[in-house]
Amino acid sequence: MFKLFVDIWQGIVSIFKGFVVTGRSMFRKPVTIQYPLQKAAMTQRFRGMADLRVEKCISCLQCVRICPTAALDLTSVTNPETKKKALESFCFNAELCCFCGLCQDVCPTKAIFLNALYEVAYYKRSDVTAIDLMAPDKYAHVGVLAAGKGKP
Amino acid sequence: MKTTMVTEELIVNMGPQHPSTHGVLYLELKLNGEIITDCRPHIGYLHRSIEKIAENRSLVQFVPFTDRLDYLASMNDNLGFCLAAEKLLQLEAPARAQYLRVIVAELNRIASHLLAISTFAQDLGAYATPLFFAMRDRQKVVQIFDELCGQRLTYNYIRIGGVAGDLTPDIARTINEFVLYFRKMINDYDDLLTHNIIFKVRSKGIGIISKEFALDYAVTGPSLRASGVKWDVRKDEPYLVYDKFDFDVPVGANGDAWDRYSVRIQEMRESLRIIEQAMGAIPEGDPVAKVNKVFRPSGEVYMRTESPRGDLGFYIVGTGDVFPYRLKIRTPSFSNIAALPALIKGLNVSDAVCALGSLDIVMGEIDR
Ligand code: SF4
Ligand code: SF4
Repeated sequence: MFKLFVDIWQGIVSIFKGFVVTGRSMFRKPVTIQYPLQKAAMTQRFRGMADLRVEKCISCLQCVRICPTAALDLTSVTNPETKKKALESFCFNAELCCFCGLCQDVCPTKAIFLNALYEVAYYKRSDVTAIDLMAPDKYAHVGVLAAGKGKP
Repeated sequence: MKTTMVTEELIVNMGPQHPSTHGVLYLELKLNGEIITDCRPHIGYLHRSIEKIAENRSLVQFVPFTDRLDYLASMNDNLGFCLAAEKLLQLEAPARAQYLRVIVAELNRIASHLLAISTFAQDLGAYATPLFFAMRDRQKVVQIFDELCGQRLTYNYIRIGGVAGDLTPDIARTINEFVLYFRKMINDYDDLLTHNIIFKVRSKGIGIISKEFALDYAVTGPSLRASGVKWDVRKDEPYLVYDKFDFDVPVGANGDAWDRYSVRIQEMRESLRIIEQAMGAIPEGDPVAKVNKVFRPSGEVYMRTESPRGDLGFYIVGTGDVFPYRLKIRTPSFSNIAALPALIKGLNVSDAVCALGSLDIVMGEIDR
């Protein structure tokens, strides 16, 4: 009988302790942000959409070869005199990309990189599957540029 | 006077869309009244043929796919695969990378255990508070990973021969702060759950896994240690630099749901100890791996590591080609869930939810 009362007392104490923990969080600063109004700052190494510095690319195809999901596709023409390759088209399929970052790590000239865009939305599916990385304004009207990221 | 009323057996389909089955698990329960007389788990709803994909990807390319196995502890899957590949290729990562790997693996263990205990508590009716608390603290870990590698869930951070990015002084400070912060926070979880009488009474004696049963079914991880078997790959077959750290392997006594919960809480404390020691001893150097190497694996290798759910093994066979000939993944959740039917026979449905939640399964790992 005595044990029963001890149990009840301990039960009440344990539940009260839980209330104290919960109650304390009323006086803490909220950790959430008001999302659509407030945007979280992305980190320095954030991996968003693939982007290209066209003038730096030497058409070495390393990024195309390493991409695990075959999201990249490029064609180039070789100048017969100088034997230099020039980019003809560079196509990025954002639907296949898994944002692994291997392409930006493998690129010898840091031409391809994952930019700070997130929250990317398109109207047409065909726009997502064939993004022309050589066009300068390809991401002009989609997505939100992450505030905190220092990459150009 | 004892009367037994015989009722017709009823088959109830629990899942695949059920909040307490932790993913797309479908349990076919045979019920006699409230009592479960038989259970057949149906799996395969999340099958993405990752093992087959591995046969068409080079080793470097396959690392992002391991993120998608156990999506709550991707770092540990990255680690398991990279260690297996390195063993096959006879490579060794630089010392700084090895320490960094230990740090991120243990941080991820904390994040994963946080979700495990909080969703378990949610299954038992502690509806929002523990889950939100765990999410708040998990966010801190995820933020560290975000700064380290730029992603919050699918990291692709550990690469063959090193890691993807070095630790900066800022991130190191964040990790040290987190260790101090979280050491205090675990006490909150104790007050909220461990000492809570309802939680205790509800989970004690439910879903008992005996020592022999656990060994027969190859149950691993916290669920095995809760049954009193002191087996931890980090301790018994040390990989990386785990043998340099001082940590304990917590074990339970009865092997019930409560023990599995409390082993996880204690493991988070041990992980903090490991992180603290590793942060103190991390050597200088360049841990970043080059990804443009072409590996031609030949021979076969099996490597196991301790993921938050148990014994995670990768078996790679290479024939000198760029692509491995075969890759087999031994995932802990798969063998842990095999024990479920025997575990919940004779319980009622609400207790089955408790037993399932305490096993902490991840469907991505079971179906792979
Ligand atoms: S981030 Fe990964 S998946 Fe996306 S384009 Fe680069 S290599 Fe391919
Ligand atoms: S790896 Fe870099 S330089 Fe080579 S093709 Fe790709 S973007 Fe161009």
